[in-house]
Amino acid sequence: MTTSQDAAGVKRVTSSITRIKRRSLSYWGAQIARYTILLLFLAIFLVPITWIFSLAVKTQAEFANNPLGLPQEPQWGNFMQAWDQGRFSVYLPNTIIYAVAVVIGVAIFACMAGYALAKTRFPGRNVIFSGFMIGMTLPFLSIMIPIFYLARDLGILGTRWGFIIPAVALGLPFSIFLMRAFFMGIPDELGDAARVDGCTEWGVFYRVMLPLAWPGLATLAVFEFLGTWSAYLMPLILTQREELRPVALALPLFQGRYRADLPLIAAASMITITPPLLIYLVLQRRFIEGVTAGALK
Amino acid sequence: MGTQSLSARASQGQSGRRFWSRYGVSYSFILPAVVLYIVFVLYPFAQSFYISLTDWNGFDPVMNFIGLDNYLKLLQDPLFWTAFSHNIIWIIVGSIGAIGLGLFLAILVSSRPPGFLIFRTVYFMPQVLGPAIVGVIWLLIYAPRRGFLYKVGEATGLDFLQRSLLANPQTSLLGILFASIWASIGFFFVIFLAGLQNVDRDLLDAARVDGANSWQQFWNVTVPQLSHVITMVIALGMIGSLKVFDIVWTMTQGGPANSSEVLGTLAYQESFNHTHHGYGSAIVMVTSALAVLMSVVFIRLRERRGD
Repeated sequence: MTTSQDAAGVKRVTSSITRIKRRSLSYWGAQIARYTILLLFLAIFLVPITWIFSLAVKTQAEFANNPLGLPQEPQWGNFMQAWDQGRFSVYLPNTIIYAVAVVIGVAIFACMAGYALAKTRFPGRNVIFSGFMIGMTLPFLSIMIPIFYLARDLGILGTRWGFIIPAVALGLPFSIFLMRAFFMGIPDELGDAARVDGCTEWGVFYRVMLPLAWPGLATLAVFEFLGTWSAYLMPLILTQREELRPVALALPLFQGRYRADLPLIAAASMITITPPLLIYLVLQRRFIEGVTAGALK
Repeated sequence: MGTQSLSARASQGQSGRRFWSRYGVSYSFILPAVVLYIVFVLYPFAQSFYISLTDWNGFDPVMNFIGLDNYLKLLQDPLFWTAFSHNIIWIIVGSIGAIGLGLFLAILVSSRPPGFLIFRTVYFMPQVLGPAIVGVIWLLIYAPRRGFLYKVGEATGLDFLQRSLLANPQTSLLGILFASIWASIGFFFVIFLAGLQNVDRDLLDAARVDGANSWQQFWNVTVPQLSHVITMVIALGMIGSLKVFDIVWTMTQGGPANSSEVLGTLAYQESFNHTHHGYGSAIVMVTSALAVLMSVVFIRLRERRGD
């Protein structure tokens, strides 16, 4: 077994050598041009973030002398200072609560609605689906005034619900669209088989369909989590009390207040972007799936 | 079928029960979402439209119905046209720039060369940050006399990098657009990547055998197959450019001297800073109408093409 693998390996190497020999100068020229451009763009995206990270661990004095280079003595204390002055011990938990609550709310409602739209037939189905699809185009701007007064009149404006409930409602169009597409990909026969075995409609949804729609649900969760994390206008309107703010709203205000202290703002920015960046690095496939599904399906 | 309609005629109550036993599950599954959506999206939208027909300022108990006055005022308001023209510039420069670069990069990596995952991860990364945070980061980069670009300009002797783009009314919009393009290339890039996977490789090979050069292969083989994706991406870019608010608000709030004002920031200023709720609502209604119109046109285009 080892020998046959070795033989295959040798064969592959020799064939790739001949391929390299056969390839012309223009091929290598094109490769060099391609990688030059790709690496240039890599730098365009990475340099700003790297610069901000190195800025975040500099003293003001070092930043004045050495604005572009890497820090000599990283000042990790800057993060503690930004954490305290920026009240991140309040805003970060807020953000996590919002993101988790919105994910749970959207997942429950969008799964049920997406399932009904994909797997059952009922009068008004197309109208309801089109109604939800209009919501994908409407900007939040178009409802910002009435939703403020609505939240106030419902008595939820000064509470976390004042942001969570509208955010769930606004997340529905895209999420229903996504879950409907996923349920449509599951064969009807699976549900029919369960029905023959005496499963109730709820049982078909909960025990048969939902476990199979798990990848869609994961995509939805990552997408909604990161979307809620970075939402700005919605909390600007709907979190009227300072202690209810999420980080994406708090950071620009922090920047306005400490305009002169660039390292401090950089440290606060790093605190804000690190959690979503980590989630993205681990679960990027899900997030990218969500984005392309929204656009292509 | 026959018995069903007979029994339906026979007893109203029985048919109701039948209806419920047949569709009850579907409706109970979809009802929570529908209620939430109507209460928190559709109803406020209808209210927005109504407010746009009044002179309401937010705190007066009276809401005077003034018909289309706000819309007529809008047409004569130079600031509205300034903001609108900035949205048009956003569509042309911002979305077309990001779409072009996204497509270009997607083509460069569509054969998944070594390093593909790194390129995709990094190019798409700014999407995760969200436009408000991107605005904060780029304010640091643009910071006058101390920002990244200024310092690079100082180190390399390139004068143009030391000009403060955002403080100058001539260039403030351009400064925001650079940041926005930086952030949105990745979005179009991943969509084109997904689209390119469906491009027929055999056709490309056939074209190559027939002696087509790279440009001809791209223009005559790849683009026609991508046309569906390209239409859709342009529609998304245009709708996104109309809705833009966050990044402008965190970077310049529309200033200096309205030089980076867009419809979104103008509507916000009118609604909340000047408490002209009626007038602000008229602006967002125009924005929404244009966005819906664009998506309808786009759906029609797509249907006509038959896919």
